[in-house]
Amino acid sequence: MDAFNNLMYGFGIALEPINILYVFVGVFAGTIIGMLPGLGPISALALMIPITFAMDPSSGLILMAGVYYGAIFGGSTSSILLNAPGVAGTVATSFDGYPMAKQGLAGKALAIAAYASFVGGTISIVFLMMVAPLLSKVAVSFGPAEYFALMVLGLTAVVSLSDKSLVKGLIAAVIGVMISIIGIDLQTGTVRYAFGTAHLLDGIDFLVVALGIFALAEVFYILLRGGGGKEQPRNVIGSLKLSRGEVKEIAGPIGRSSVLGFFTGVLPGAGATIGSFLGYSMEKRLAKDGDTFGKGNIKGVAAPEAANNAACTGSFVPLLTLGVPGSGTTAVLLGALLVMGVTPGPAMLVDRPDVFWGVIASMYIGNIFLLVLNLPLIPFIARILDMPRPLLLSLILIFCMIGVYGMSFSVFDLFLLLGFGLLGLGMRLFGFPAAPLILALILGGIMEESMRRALQISGGDWSTFIDKPISLTLLIIAGLSLTLPLVKKVVVRVRATS
Amino acid sequence: MIVKTSRPAARLAALVLPLAALAGMGTAAQADDWTPTSAIEFIAPANPGGGWDTLVRTTSRVIQEEGLADQNFAAINVPGGGGAVAWAQIARDTGNPHKLFATSPPIILVPLAGTSQYDHTNFTPIARLITDYSIVLVPRDSEYQDLNDLFDAIRENASLSVGGGSAPGSMDHISIAGVASAAGLEAADVNYIAFSGGGEAMTNLMGGHVEAVITGAGEAAGQLGPDSEVRALGVSAPERLGGPLADIPTYQEQGIDYTFDIWRGVMGTPDMPEEAVAYYEELFAQMLETDGWADARDQLGWIDAYQNSEEFGAFLDEQKEEFSEVLSELGLIR
Repeated sequence: MDAFNNLMYGFGIALEPINILYVFVGVFAGTIIGMLPGLGPISALALMIPITFAMDPSSGLILMAGVYYGAIFGGSTSSILLNAPGVAGTVATSFDGYPMAKQGLAGKALAIAAYASFVGGTISIVFLMMVAPLLSKVAVSFGPAEYFALMVLGLTAVVSLSDKSLVKGLIAAVIGVMISIIGIDLQTGTVRYAFGTAHLLDGIDFLVVALGIFALAEVFYILLRGGGGKEQPRNVIGSLKLSRGEVKEIAGPIGRSSVLGFFTGVLPGAGATIGSFLGYSMEKRLAKDGDTFGKGNIKGVAAPEAANNAACTGSFVPLLTLGVPGSGTTAVLLGALLVMGVTPGPAMLVDRPDVFWGVIASMYIGNIFLLVLNLPLIPFIARILDMPRPLLLSLILIFCMIGVYGMSFSVFDLFLLLGFGLLGLGMRLFGFPAAPLILALILGGIMEESMRRALQISGGDWSTFIDKPISLTLLIIAGLSLTLPLVKKVVVRVRATS
Repeated sequence: MIVKTSRPAARLAALVLPLAALAGMGTAAQADDWTPTSAIEFIAPANPGGGWDTLVRTTSRVIQEEGLADQNFAAINVPGGGGAVAWAQIARDTGNPHKLFATSPPIILVPLAGTSQYDHTNFTPIARLITDYSIVLVPRDSEYQDLNDLFDAIRENASLSVGGGSAPGSMDHISIAGVASAAGLEAADVNYIAFSGGGEAMTNLMGGHVEAVITGAGEAAGQLGPDSEVRALGVSAPERLGGPLADIPTYQEQGIDYTFDIWRGVMGTPDMPEEAVAYYEELFAQMLETDGWADARDQLGWIDAYQNSEEFGAFLDEQKEEFSEVLSELGLIR
């Protein structure tokens, strides 16, 4: 009941005309920022700090939060249409979203992404409202050992991401881990594999690799197959409508992935990415038609999209209840709040309930805006695919280059992009899946850091990973998810022979 | 063909002539009081959101709002290598009076760690602006009541871990190793755990995964309060800080003779003309006097610590010596 009263109080603030305007401007700007890779929410928010400086803190946070979840909402667009994921959280969306677009179902894929994002966002706000204070304990319960175990669990998704050949999938994953090693090692300050150039000291950004081995490799592949000038199928957008059967089909995945996404989002770190990959691989295993994942299965779009939006909301838990940022984006939000004179943390619920509840209420409104704003836009945005092939391919090229350059302002990274495009093409031609590489790249770095940190704290004692209940549980789940399919196969075979 | 080649040449001449005229005007103005003739590139050698970026954006905003300069200050982010990428770029721009960058201890520490070939001596010091201090935090229910308790415990059990938000040999590590060494421990006795940011170090402290954390006092101010999950053991300031940090004793009060400044300031391109340096010195000194600055500074938990170009330069040399000492004790000099 208390939560209800607080929420009503929050709506009182969020529904002030000026705040409605801020929500709208925030989510609108966010959607557009999300669609363009490179201009991620972090830079966008940092640029907005001077604007929000003079604002009332609740309005300022309402606006900035809108940009943040708006960007995650819009992030699926480039993954689906161009196979060019702009943020790590939308990589998994491209696995089935892009094949759907190629089959002339771009409209449906985008619509599913929008619905899944909306539901994922909304379910997680309810969680945020009800259990945020309780969850602050969960957020800090993850130390280095627990993170290591979580990353191991995340990496088990490699198995479900490598379709044809597990060995090739594992090879791709190892390459991904190798790329994640490049740069200054945080534990010792040692420079690894930077070849004497300052450009590699910070490692290789995920975006460079993702745009290279997904989008650029796709362009090269089409060109190589001589598809550059071909006539293309008409009506490439398709209908936005979902049949009743389809709605039923995606309801389960969306619900499960929303919950999963929210809880991974609460953990400071790689919430949205792990959430979306785990959601994807969980649904693939649960589905009866799991073998059609990666070929344009609607559940493969719904699950990661619900998860990444839920994770985005989840990342507000440590920010609002503890005052610690769970991601780069929330770190910028924290900085902005401090500048506005509000200190997030346990005292905020008491001192500035207007900010806390105002923002939560505004998220409900923002998610509705996003849905209403995005659905009618889909046919127009998807029309990008109507372009003649040569134009479309050049557009993707430019898009990737702007995305990479806009992030680092480094020409060096453009050459890296090209290199990864060629690597992606090679992998494609020889049947290596790209998804395990990108997953291992994202998780590998955190996994290594967490493992070494945990060992440094325990004084080199490996039992730290099984002494801690959370870590042990996660490792057992990881072990089971690797062995169960095998056991199942054996059982089936034994039954068949007897 | 002849026509084709002559055209760009003509265009080039058309471009060069006004530029030459502009340059002439510039030198004429320099004779007495130099003022910028174009927008000033103010570089944060990092991504948006961090300490350098905040300094660049805040000072640019205050200068603009208070109308202190005729020319625009354009905030530019050049991330990479903990600053090394930006420094390498700026070092090539010798004498350019329209390029500044935000700086802090990494300009000394990163070169000492061997990952940048440029250090503070390659650039022109303009002014030191502000400082922050280190603060040592423990979980609320920790058994340690003061710094000496913590160091005694570390003396007993060397595996006790202290977390920080940056790599070994960088600011947080130097700061905790320095105070430990002043308290009679070996600098290398501290089992320093590097996290990828102050926020991550803080969550690990709250979850009890590390014994203590060292971080910036301004950053931590928001974490401390009656309902707080964490407690402060000491600050590295020479005297007590104000506001929410007023109750926290300094290291010196606890009998450990050590202070550590997390200073931030502004530097310019190599061999920047003296007139330009004088102009910027004056500009930043003026800025520190404005109300707009006072508001922003207090909200960000910064403390004014102005030094002009000459003082700042001498200070940087001292810092380098001090840091080198701690780093060699740690065995981290490369």
